Amino acid sequence: MSSRSRQNTINRINTNANNNNNNNEEERGGAIKRTRLDNANYTSTHTFSSSSSSSTAVAAATASSSSSYDNFIGKTSKKYDLVNHGKDLIFPSHKPIPDRPNDAVRQGPQKQPIKKLVIKGLKDKPKLPDNYEEVTWSKLQAAVQAIFNYQRIGTSLEELYKACENLCLHKMAPSLYKRLAGEIEEHLKVEKTKLENNLNENDTLLIVVNKCWQAHCEQMGLIRSIFLYLDRTYVLQTSGVISIWDKGLEIFQKQIMSSSAGDIKKKTMNGLITLIRLERNGDSVDRRLLHSLIHMFIDLGIYCPSFENLFLMETRSYYHHEGISLVSEITVPRYLKHVKKRLREESDRVSNYLDWKTKNPLTKVVDDELIKRHVDTLLEKGFNDMMEDQHADEHIQELGRLYDLLARVNSLDRLRLYFGNYIKKTGSNIVNNVNQESTMVEDLLALKKKMDSIVAISFDRNYNFAHAVKESFEVFINQRQNKPAELIAKYVDLKLKLGNKRMDDLEIEKTLDEVLVLFRYIQGKDIFEAFYKRDLAKRLLLNKSASFDYERSMLSKLRKECGPGFTSKLEGMFKDIDLSRDFMNSFYHSRISENLRTNIKIDLYVNVLTQGFWPTYSPAPLILPPVMAECQEIFKEFYLSKHGGRNLKWQNSLGHCLLAAEFPKGNKELVVSLFQAVVLLQFNDLKLKERISYEHIKEHTGIEKKELDRTLQSLACGKVRVLKKHPKGRDVSPTDSFSVDEMFDVKFFRIKVNAIQMKETLEENQETNERVFLDRQYQVDAALVRIMKMRKKLSHNELVSELLSQLKFKAQVSDIKKRIESLIEREYLERDSEDPSILKYLA
Amino acid sequence: MRVKVKRWHGVAVWRWDVPNEEVCGICRVPFDGCCPTCKTPGDDCSLIWGECTHVFHMHCLLRWLQTEGSRGQCPMDRRTWGINFTKLFFLL
Ligand SMILES: [Zn+2]
Ligand SMILES: [Zn+2]
Ligand SMILES: [Zn+2]
Repeated sequence: MSSRSRQNTINRINTNANNNNNNNEEERGGAIKRTRLDNANYTSTHTFSSSSSSSTAVAAATASSSSSYDNFIGKTSKKYDLVNHGKDLIFPSHKPIPDRPNDAVRQGPQKQPIKKLVIKGLKDKPKLPDNYEEVTWSKLQAAVQAIFNYQRIGTSLEELYKACENLCLHKMAPSLYKRLAGEIEEHLKVEKTKLENNLNENDTLLIVVNKCWQAHCEQMGLIRSIFLYLDRTYVLQTSGVISIWDKGLEIFQKQIMSSSAGDIKKKTMNGLITLIRLERNGDSVDRRLLHSLIHMFIDLGIYCPSFENLFLMETRSYYHHEGISLVSEITVPRYLKHVKKRLREESDRVSNYLDWKTKNPLTKVVDDELIKRHVDTLLEKGFNDMMEDQHADEHIQELGRLYDLLARVNSLDRLRLYFGNYIKKTGSNIVNNVNQESTMVEDLLALKKKMDSIVAISFDRNYNFAHAVKESFEVFINQRQNKPAELIAKYVDLKLKLGNKRMDDLEIEKTLDEVLVLFRYIQGKDIFEAFYKRDLAKRLLLNKSASFDYERSMLSKLRKECGPGFTSKLEGMFKDIDLSRDFMNSFYHSRISENLRTNIKIDLYVNVLTQGFWPTYSPAPLILPPVMAECQEIFKEFYLSKHGGRNLKWQNSLGHCLLAAEFPKGNKELVVSLFQAVVLLQFNDLKLKERISYEHIKEHTGIEKKELDRTLQSLACGKVRVLKKHPKGRDVSPTDSFSVDEMFDVKFFRIKVNAIQMKETLEENQETNERVFLDRQYQVDAALVRIMKMRKKLSHNELVSELLSQLKFKAQVSDIKKRIESLIEREYLERDSEDPSILKYLA
Repeated sequence: MRVKVKRWHGVAVWRWDVPNEEVCGICRVPFDGCCPTCKTPGDDCSLIWGECTHVFHMHCLLRWLQTEGSRGQCPMDRRTWGINFTKLFFLL
């Protein structure tokens, strides 16, 4: 607080006190006059209440009007003892002593019967003796000197008070005030000399200065109570005159603190700074001493700026050095913990002995030197380690600490940058690791989960950090074209497929939602769609879906995410499944199928697909045994009779059968693909151990080589081996021959052998990718033509940039160039004859 | 060993009985897709064959026939439009 503003505050308080007590003042003034005339004991009407008597020994002493002088002295000397023992005494320097008379006194006259007092004018005006002022002052002077010298005061407090009052009433207040000030000044001059002689020993300097200060406060308190009337009248009514207490401070400041010879102020300040440094170093110091002397500076109006500046400078240099050495010596988490501790300590320091206004500048100095200066060093050195996952809980706490501290110095942008880069780096490693593709999606989900929880717990749910997660995922996940999208689709397939670890509804919904978030980041959603569709088709047609509810739930999530255009074909697939079920119902109730059941004894179920909804399958030739072929014909005829204008084409690769098999060791049921079924049928009614050659099978089934190899391998080299391959080996060759395993026996009755149907072949994978690329080419062509049709004439670069803004996948500029060339060849576009970089639309 | 097919889950794909990659003469959309006002091909948006052997989306043709200029003629050859019923079992 600057001394001026402090003075203003005091004036304000004094004025308030004055206003509040105006009535009382008048009343009391009247009472004083009366009592003087009546020659009554004025003390009975001058009983003051004290609101804070505990802290003001003086007020207490004044209040106890009935106490004897000895008693009074006894009390004060007891207080002196306290001071001598260095006890912490707080003297309210700016609180005016409360001057409301007791309620009892104020209400006194009202309670008693009203008496009229008639005042008659005196015949002769009373005259003061000539030496009245000198005599009265010498009484007061003696008392003041006694107080300064810790001696007995020879006059009663009541008398002294009255003496002061009388001088004031006789308009001698100004000179009284001056004399008193002079007395204080004389005393402090002496004190200063004593101090200056005592200053050599540095250890005791602070103690000596503090003793002097405490004594001053104590003594001024007593003096103020004696000269209370002066304070209440002359000081209040005269502008430019400060209260006795403040005058005391002013003289103390001028005499002692401005002493040039001993430089007491500077030495005291340095002593305090040293003490604080010791405390920062971990020593225990006398905080009461610090408190007392620092508050002395505050009271004297030299705390701010002199002491505060010095203190802040020292603090800056202290933490400057500490920061620089610690940041390289200890780990970042330990450093952060240390900074938190320092901030706590400094905050304690403010509440323990500094002015509260120092809190903000002090905190800023610590923030600057321990945090702001080292933001990049800390992040560079420690951030990645803190993000790694050895002790998750601990790390989350440490990151929270980092966030809090960086938030203090407005450096969250830096943290966000490092956070984003960490995600990009980690994610990029996952996405580009060709050897870990089987766990890519799980790894990405784990990364996402971890980043989300760091944002939620450590980063205060800060939107910018959540956004950084999204941004970073979008960047790294699209660093690798197509593969992530494909693997995400396959991950969903894994979750929706029968035979996986059972999940409850909530779990599966949660998993689907999580994976959908990854899907959201992907630019090439068409790749996802293509693979998702292929897998969905298998789940639906091979009865491998875990639940239609989950399937529909996923579908509605995709629709919500990408719009109905994205899912209309997938929805069409479900529609086909439903329509087929209805159609099979009517088929079963027809006469034709009755014939089928009684004569051929094959239970036939057919899913009829609408071409446009489903993945395109390359034709897979197969020679069906006559019974099955007949069966198929019957169905086809029935279907076409119900649906005019259509053709039916069989998809052999997706067919599957349940076989009743008789083995020497017992009957079994085999769940097989249609190819497997047809191959196994070749082995019916062979002699024991009779072999048939690869070529024979190929010829009689008509299955293509690759498909046949896979099929034979699954029957003779897989987990369940119905056939024996000769010679033995893992791979099928055209020179092999096969026989039935006559010893075939497994403990289950129904055995699934058709797992190969669910498995994606390399060709299938390539085909799916190629179809997407082809489709993208069409889209590029269509968009190019659409743009040119509208704009008629565009430069090559303009066309490319407009195209890129329209495409939903990432296209390579070189590919686009090829498409433009192709459109020129096909005469959709032409180059301008003068400027070949300009393209024109050909109608 | 002896095996016998007990149950058979077959898969078939239906297509309109029109030459590959042929488009509707009215809306120019391939017959694998539906007419411009529909979303899904199939029973909801079927084809219609004329006695003249021309094929269209049924919705496209009906809209055409409602226009003044059609005069009840096939838009391709301007012969009077007559439905080829042999292709339309499901309507009977
Ligand atoms: Zn049409
Ligand atoms: Zn239609
Ligand atoms: Zn026609």
